[in-house]
Amino acid sequence: MSKTDIDLIIGGPQGGGIDSAAQVVIRSFTIAGFESYGLREYHSNIKGRHSYFHVRIKEEPVRSLRYPVDMLVCLDGETPFVHMDDVTSNSIIIYDSDFENTKLDQVITMEPETQKHIREKFQTLKVEPVIKNLMEYQKSRGVNVVPISFRKLITDTLGQNKPPARYSNTLGASISMAMLGLPAEITKSGIASVFGRKKEVVEDNEKIVDAAYKYVDSLGIKIKKLDIREYRERFMVTGNEAVGIGKVLGGLKFQTYYPITPAADESFFLEGHDYFEEAIENQNEQLRKTGVVIVQAEDEISAIAMAISGAMTGARTATATSGPGFSLMAEALGYAGINEIPVVLTLYQRGGPSTGLPTRNSQADLLFALNAGHGEFPRIVISSGDAEEAIFDAVKAFNYAERYQVPVIHIMDKVLANSFYVIDKVDSSKIKIQRWILPSSDNEEYQRFKFTETGISPMGFFGKQIFWLTGDEHNELGHITEDPETRDAMMEKRMKKLEIASKEIPLEDKLLVFGDKDAEISIVSWGSNKGPILDAMDKLREEGIKTRLIYLRLFSPFPSKEVAEALKGSKVIIDIENNYTAQAALVIKEHTGINVDKFILKYNGRHVTEDEVYKSIKEVLNGKDKVVMTSGA
Amino acid sequence: MAHNFKTDLWVDWCPGCGDFGILAAIQQALAEYNAKPENYVIVSGIGCSAKTPHYVNVSGIHTLHGRAIPFATGIKLSNPNLTVILDGGDGDLLSIGAGHFVAAGRRNVDFTIILHNNGVYGLTKGQASPTLPRGTKTKGLQRPNIYDSLNPVALALSVGYTFVARAYAFNIKNTKDIILKAIKHKGTAVIDLLQPCPTYNDINTKEWYDQRIYYLDQEKDWDPVVRKPEEEEVEKKYLQAINKSLEWGDKIPVGIFYQNEFVPTYEERIKQNFPNYFEDPPATSQISKKDGSAIVDMENIFRDKIVRK
Repeated sequence: MSKTDIDLIIGGPQGGGIDSAAQVVIRSFTIAGFESYGLREYHSNIKGRHSYFHVRIKEEPVRSLRYPVDMLVCLDGETPFVHMDDVTSNSIIIYDSDFENTKLDQVITMEPETQKHIREKFQTLKVEPVIKNLMEYQKSRGVNVVPISFRKLITDTLGQNKPPARYSNTLGASISMAMLGLPAEITKSGIASVFGRKKEVVEDNEKIVDAAYKYVDSLGIKIKKLDIREYRERFMVTGNEAVGIGKVLGGLKFQTYYPITPAADESFFLEGHDYFEEAIENQNEQLRKTGVVIVQAEDEISAIAMAISGAMTGARTATATSGPGFSLMAEALGYAGINEIPVVLTLYQRGGPSTGLPTRNSQADLLFALNAGHGEFPRIVISSGDAEEAIFDAVKAFNYAERYQVPVIHIMDKVLANSFYVIDKVDSSKIKIQRWILPSSDNEEYQRFKFTETGISPMGFFGKQIFWLTGDEHNELGHITEDPETRDAMMEKRMKKLEIASKEIPLEDKLLVFGDKDAEISIVSWGSNKGPILDAMDKLREEGIKTRLIYLRLFSPFPSKEVAEALKGSKVIIDIENNYTAQAALVIKEHTGINVDKFILKYNGRHVTEDEVYKSIKEVLNGKDKVVMTSGA
Repeated sequence: MAHNFKTDLWVDWCPGCGDFGILAAIQQALAEYNAKPENYVIVSGIGCSAKTPHYVNVSGIHTLHGRAIPFATGIKLSNPNLTVILDGGDGDLLSIGAGHFVAAGRRNVDFTIILHNNGVYGLTKGQASPTLPRGTKTKGLQRPNIYDSLNPVALALSVGYTFVARAYAFNIKNTKDIILKAIKHKGTAVIDLLQPCPTYNDINTKEWYDQRIYYLDQEKDWDPVVRKPEEEEVEKKYLQAINKSLEWGDKIPVGIFYQNEFVPTYEERIKQNFPNYFEDPPATSQISKKDGSAIVDMENIFRDKIVRK
């Protein structure tokens, strides 16, 4: 068990540097040799609305977040209200005392519905909703409350000429790290690691670190120093960046996109890493420069069309989008299907339908990913559950696309996209690139859709062979035909490729079984829920409750036999998903006939945490058929 | 032996269709341009015009309704060394694909757009297309058209196309010459290709066009080419083209309206960041070592993501 296990939330206005504060915390703890994992939550807004960062720190790898948190840092007058139930006795709240007299209805950035829910809580407490009263209430239930005048501390340190709002994020982060017992030098390293190139910013912020540590000293609280661990070089990446890294390692040459949350950060990241050195083997490992072309298209229809046609020149191509953009791509997806074009589409799920919850989490696009597009065509659909999986899956997506000449949808979600992960370097030798089958001889007339045993025809490219593609049903050359026998043969040829894929894709890329393999309680889930479920399972095991997790990775072709096998011996099957209709359970039922009988679902757009999975499983074991998880601000 | 640019398929357009003239002009232009046959790609959308690639013996990609431009863009940007020609209808390019038509003007990717303009949606029985004037009642319509028409030449000019021309399907020689010039143009070329639809457009017939068309290259003093990369010269040629584009009715000008070789192509803009883009394009760039492992190194490319002490 981890000796250290800290959950921390830093909240403040959007545009107020929450992202930098998050980076300072994660980078500092990484430098101190700890493991961490953090998530950003934010509104669809540029400046002003509430955003926060939730991070957990351990000696062991962190797989999930947990409520209540050990420390809540409030950079504004909204955070203490919004997160009032996220702390418990012995938690610490650090807040800006300049907001002492702020009343709930003065927090104009807060949505009226949220204000109403908070007002109701205060009515139960029988006090006016003012920060001062809130802090009294928190103290009364054993929460440690630390007031700091952010404005005063910052102007005392940097003078009157520096705008205090620009430094409150690092001040908040520094106070929290001082109170958690992290040495000031390490916090300064973390600051330098974030603001590296901007010398003046680093110097100012280092002064803020000193002031923060001095202030915490002056409080006279006894703080246990953390045991610093050995530093090793690691990468801090978001899920968006992990996919981008995977794509580049896997040979991405052409990526298209149209801006959409939470997918656009991947392409934006790639635009910053689109020209680089690579090692050419036959030139004695000599380095040469090469690039990836990233195109911001005029819409998502154009984005997928460019990626599809680009693939027909021999380039590894991909696009990335979220629900609304994916809806627009549906017609072109079928085009890639009937024309057997290897294209990769990374789908970052967010709350729907329509614009829905544009910056919040969801797993409600699984059935859509499996069925998008009219008619029937083969597609491969894979899902990742953390940054490392995302890197390798991005490579596999290309390999599957080219090997089977099908569109591949790689499903991610908002929690994955916007979480910070600290990972080790991925060794290039571990990246295996598998490409298409090429025509054997140039003498015979090339047929793009030649009938073969496997249904897979040798690949041809614009610029190499002469051939035709059409969205109409076609003959082996690629010309239009409505001949019924050819239609049957082409349908069967295309669909057969999924049978081949089913045979060739290894079990570990289809599903993983965790926990006690012979447990009678089985959990099925996918995507970013993996971590919180594994942590909740560990907690249940401590109480003698054995569980196993069947974690699904491949949804098309669906591994029916393997899933049925993995579920054998289950007395109860619990489905855990972030959607209303339990979509993965429906897919399991469709393909195996197995009924999932218990459901733990969440559709409020917020991340699933260890504690609520644990609590919900207990409720199910106590007889509930369905639990809806509701945590998160 | 010279490459045969015809496929052996039966061409299934209606007798008298303007597409026959356009097809012949394309085949002749490709032969005359003389690139390697494998290096041509013909892209089309949906509709009668969209069948064109199947009838030309070079690679063809018959795509989705309205999406020929993004498909052509993906091909050209992945392999900038190919010669890409696009056939789209007036409905295809100016209605369902209008957003792409505008974006393409801003990009200036080096390909040629042949806009088959007959005023109707032929394959769905003659509905009005964006180029059919208001008040016109062609025989497929229940009542006269209540949409205003748009001016493809003026639209193309206003969104930045660097080569804008008009041709007439039944003058194959002139059409071939214009297509050839469009292919040679560095940047996106658009040709408003007037063509009768003998089945559904009984107003703008061959006879109707024959009485009205005149040729700009036979006009004294007509020079559509921007001669110097100077603002004044560009503005002069641009305004001249806009003015000329407004001529329609008793006299219809055919020929090149505007040509500017000084605007960098999108490919050249990519090259700014990626100097060996043309020599090592996405299409043919090596991506793995002989043993199939990655050629690139995470630490080398993504070093900014390393948490340094």
